[in-house]
Amino acid sequence: MSLNDPRMAKAFRFVRSEYSGGEARLVYAFDDGPELVERIGFPAAPALAPEREAAFAAALELLHLIAGVSYYKAGVPGEIRIESTTIDRITAAFLDDLYLHGLGEFAYTNKLDLRGRIRFPSHAGHPGLRRDDGEMGADSSGVRRAAIGLPRSTLVPIGGGKDSLVSVEILKAAGENATAVWIGNSGLIESCAGRTGLPMLNISRAISPLLFEYNRAGALNGHIPVTAINSAILVVAAILYGHDAIAFSNERSASSATLEYDGMPINHQWSKGWAFERGFRSLIHSHVAADLDYYSLLRPLSELAVASRFAKNNRYDDVFSSCNRNFRILGPKPSDRWCGQCPKCHFVFLALAPFMPKPRLLAIFGRNLLDDPAQIAGFDALLEYRDHKPFECVGEGHESRAAMAELARRAEWREDAIVERFIHEVQPQLGPDERSLEALLQVEGERHLPARLVDALERS
Amino acid sequence: MNSIPATLPEDAPWVVLKFGGTSVSTRPRWDNIASIAASHREAGRRVLIVVSALSGITDMLKGIGEGHADGQRCQELREAIIARHHTLFGELGLPKRNAIDAWLARLDQLLADPRRPSGALPWQAELLALGELSSSTLGALYLNSLGLTTHWLDSRDFFRAEALPNQGDWARWLSASVQVRHDPAITAKLAARGDVFIAQGFIARSGDGATAVLGRGGSDTSAAYFGALLKAEVVEIWTDVPGMFSANPRQVPDARLLSRLDYAEAQEIATTGAKVLHPRCIHPVRDSRVPIRIKDTNRPDLPGTEIVWNTQAGAPSVKAISSRKGITLVSMESISMWQQVGFLADVFEAFKRHGLSVDLIGSAETNVTVSLDPSDNLLNSDVLARLCADLEAFCRVKVIAPCAAITLVGRGMRAMLHRLSAVLAEFGALDVHLISQSSNNLNLTFVIDEGLVDSLIPRLHALLIRAEVMRVDDASVFGPSWSELAHGAAAMRPAAWWRRERKALLELGTGATPCYVYSLDQIREQARGLAALGMVDRWHYALKANPHAQILRTLHAEGFAFECVSWDEVEAVRSTLPTLAAERILFTPNFAPREEYRAALAAGVRVTLDALHPIAEWGADFAGREIFLRVDLGAGRGHHDKVKTGGAQSKFGVSLDEIEAFRAHARRHGTRIVGLHAHLGSGILDAQHWRTVYAQLASLAEPFNRIEVLDLGGGLGVPSRPEDLPLDLDALGAALAEVKQAYPQFQLWMEPGRYLVAEAGVLLARVTQTKRKGDIHYVGIDAGMNSLIRPALYEAWHEIVNLSRLDEAAEDLVQVVGPICETGDVLGNNRRLPGCREGDVILIAEAGAYGAVMASHYNLRKPAAEVCL
Repeated sequence: MSLNDPRMAKAFRFVRSEYSGGEARLVYAFDDGPELVERIGFPAAPALAPEREAAFAAALELLHLIAGVSYYKAGVPGEIRIESTTIDRITAAFLDDLYLHGLGEFAYTNKLDLRGRIRFPSHAGHPGLRRDDGEMGADSSGVRRAAIGLPRSTLVPIGGGKDSLVSVEILKAAGENATAVWIGNSGLIESCAGRTGLPMLNISRAISPLLFEYNRAGALNGHIPVTAINSAILVVAAILYGHDAIAFSNERSASSATLEYDGMPINHQWSKGWAFERGFRSLIHSHVAADLDYYSLLRPLSELAVASRFAKNNRYDDVFSSCNRNFRILGPKPSDRWCGQCPKCHFVFLALAPFMPKPRLLAIFGRNLLDDPAQIAGFDALLEYRDHKPFECVGEGHESRAAMAELARRAEWREDAIVERFIHEVQPQLGPDERSLEALLQVEGERHLPARLVDALERS
Repeated sequence: MNSIPATLPEDAPWVVLKFGGTSVSTRPRWDNIASIAASHREAGRRVLIVVSALSGITDMLKGIGEGHADGQRCQELREAIIARHHTLFGELGLPKRNAIDAWLARLDQLLADPRRPSGALPWQAELLALGELSSSTLGALYLNSLGLTTHWLDSRDFFRAEALPNQGDWARWLSASVQVRHDPAITAKLAARGDVFIAQGFIARSGDGATAVLGRGGSDTSAAYFGALLKAEVVEIWTDVPGMFSANPRQVPDARLLSRLDYAEAQEIATTGAKVLHPRCIHPVRDSRVPIRIKDTNRPDLPGTEIVWNTQAGAPSVKAISSRKGITLVSMESISMWQQVGFLADVFEAFKRHGLSVDLIGSAETNVTVSLDPSDNLLNSDVLARLCADLEAFCRVKVIAPCAAITLVGRGMRAMLHRLSAVLAEFGALDVHLISQSSNNLNLTFVIDEGLVDSLIPRLHALLIRAEVMRVDDASVFGPSWSELAHGAAAMRPAAWWRRERKALLELGTGATPCYVYSLDQIREQARGLAALGMVDRWHYALKANPHAQILRTLHAEGFAFECVSWDEVEAVRSTLPTLAAERILFTPNFAPREEYRAALAAGVRVTLDALHPIAEWGADFAGREIFLRVDLGAGRGHHDKVKTGGAQSKFGVSLDEIEAFRAHARRHGTRIVGLHAHLGSGILDAQHWRTVYAQLASLAEPFNRIEVLDLGGGLGVPSRPEDLPLDLDALGAALAEVKQAYPQFQLWMEPGRYLVAEAGVLLARVTQTKRKGDIHYVGIDAGMNSLIRPALYEAWHEIVNLSRLDEAAEDLVQVVGPICETGDVLGNNRRLPGCREGDVILIAEAGAYGAVMASHYNLRKPAAEVCL
């Protein structure tokens, strides 16, 4: 099929969303072009209890609106048309924010300015995602949806990296009833999830194949706020399967901007940040279900504090990977899970180094990244030395510097090429205001956690 | 086994048979033990059987020993242990279980023992011993029930542990050592009792009469102790593998079974990686010169590996190459160590204080580097950090890890050094951290980065064979390869086509020679084999291998597209196949001039760029075009340096760190990168290589926007030497399918050349003259390096036969040489041929690729003509 270049489209249309037999179908289109259908599969989906139907419908529509970002970005047309529902001002403002900031890095790499371009149409007089069919919604005064009797149980999304595995161990230690959930087909995540010992749920997601055709026709491409999409999928799943909480594993530094461009802060991981978490939770409470909680368990922790907790347990050493490369083909060797070249590999290596025996860390990675002069530029970027922070989910510069400073004090590390260079070249230029490793390990900052888990987090 | 034969004479020879856990866990396995023991007995040997515990039992007993404080866990394990023994008891159909119940009752006593909660070491040793005591008891009952009169012995009555200097409490009880020498009195006393005995591996008495155990591999060691004690004719270690190999067969399918080793070699191989035999079992038999034989329970007819005092092998040979991973090096540097008394003592005292055992040592005037084997202690405690902090007091210390030690083992290593040049060249391309060669002249060890070892070992093994340092032709030392054993005769290669066509070829050979002859049928067969894989969306023929017009037409008819590396190749394809669509030609040049790219783009041919220069300097030429990008994934592979096409030393491809720059240029010019191409070398016979390249390329392509095609290049190997196994197409298909399933969005292209045509071509020549010079016998033929340069250029090995005398025995060792005035004009080194006479037709096989196309008029001699069958 030959498609029109989506950059020429006038409008992006939210056509409809539907659910049946364990599959949600989210339908979009550019102008009068063919329908783009995204399919989300919920395995062994139970029948929906009548008291949850309204909440489910609201969650599905919210997912439809959020997941549209993957398609919208192919052309970023000037008009956004919602044909499936009407939304209130709160929802529209939330979506404006999500699309603008969630596509911040995309706009930066494609040299676009999306400010003022993204406007979700709202109907001031008709608050609520589905106000048109007469359901109770929230208005701007913050009225909440009714509770729908969800059982005490937590969905914990697993990504294959260290963070979610730390959450799993905290939830297990706290005796929480938890299910490990992941979206899409990933052998790596599956083997990590298997190692947790928790019940598992694997949700499938298939992007419309037409998007690849549009790519061929000239579509814009780039980073999208995938955590927002996954969050919205899990809200649907929580109502469907009966879980009253979704515990993500985003830490404190996910909230900080990667760089500022043309007066706008750009954060590679915006949908992992506090602003999104707070906005999304409040939207769920007001527009979906009052008793469905959404939070990030690791929010008050720094990356280093997460790393120190990960190092306490070696059960995931030979299965986890935080590497940015998508390892669809698994193998037994460390190089089958860690590319050793990307910022994630650099950062996780550095963050774990102060907290685990060197031979264990080197066995995990299969090599010593800190003794490889070819990695100097990569580590410089983490240290924010001569370069800005990379567009990756990595810790803040002062965390990397604190970890490196700690290694500089360790006899078993300080002769390694990159640590030695840090000692002689970088450290002398650092100001006296650097934070110590100990200070960075404190539990602190914005958070929203159930009280019972605050204690578990402190003890972990 | 119904008849009970008369007792053997008192001086009948002894044989000790050792069986491990899996061999004693089922009734069919015990029947097997009975038949092996009975056949020795029938051959007039007294038999002593040494057994391990049932498989898994020692681990469960260890679980109790280590979890001594956890009463409930201990009870669970107890239930499982008792159930296992009762199950086997039932399976063996034995009548009375008093004897076995006695040992299980002892387990209950030990669980109730006041020493349990503290996990006292003597208590643990006694606990661990129960596994062997029980299995040997069941075995004795069963063998007797079969009519093979078998006497049960308690090994503790024969072996008393000796305290060693520096031995800790743990080792004294749980990793004890025993000094054994031949004892004629005990031997005679046992001989008087009967002919067949069964005893326990792993257990002994401590100095004070309590129970101690021998530690890992203890059952092998016990068998060796009994062998020494009785001065047995042989100790047979029965396992699930055919014996010891020249390399780990999982890494090197071509690894050879080692038929015969001396004690020191076997010990060296066992300590440097092989798991078949525990190294501790060599020492006891070495002193009494009792041979050990490793036998395969599943294939008792195989000779296995025999370990003897002296192999009396003629020429020195590397016997094995082994590797150990997880090595940590500690490098200590200090000027103060120079001529300093006691420096090393201080260093080693620090290692001792932290309980770390040093393995390899390399030293210079101001540096000492030592290696540490992997241990739980090293991985999960801060012992290394504490060690380094201590060492810092008197030297600079650096930790180098993770490393792997690669050891070449063979008696007389230093006498072989001069022939290791190809092996050393391979190491020369890597960062070798330490080399160690001990004065016992048995080994040569290289320590390198761990990540390199898996791909390096098979290459080194092949190089050792090729350099004739590992003399696999010596049948007294080397047996069949692992893959031959695994696949049997099925893997044997079918007879070459030219044997069927001998008559026609002889006729051609008596005409104008030299002459290349191509079998188009053979080319079709190769092409169809590849097409049948189904995984590849488009096959290209890389016509640089052989651009003969009839070959191009044949492959076109088989549905192949074409890959060209020069504009003239493109023109050759277009003039031979005028109806071929231009987009079915892939133009993949290297350092070609700008005009060639322009011509290709104008003709509508698909163009691959393999450098930044064209897109950076001539970007406008590619504006709005679709191109392929050839990347260099790093490590090159192939059968010779000159055919490796990856890595910084190679001139091909854009390196990974330049890809972003390339993309930026492409974006600037609106050039669309629609394909990624990688080609890492030639002559690769390992199917897993393509899986790796394919997966690497696919993960690299994912973040690109418009990649539609992944082109894996060629390099499909063709076996040349008799010991090479052909590329396993099924394995290749499976490897490709796995990646394809993970990345269905990409089309897969490949571009073999040599694979399609090499075997289809032979070079015919006639003998011109023969000559003897000293020991060397030359056979001169009328084809030289001007017709076939591969032997001179790549040291390529081509099979050479005397077609006129194909049925005669090939007994003469000769150099096959051409008529060109170059010392290097040698087509075959040290070949066995029947006595050659002037005018005989000589056939050089696998000459269809890079033969005629690389020919020249050097010496103004006409190169060979070409004929298609």
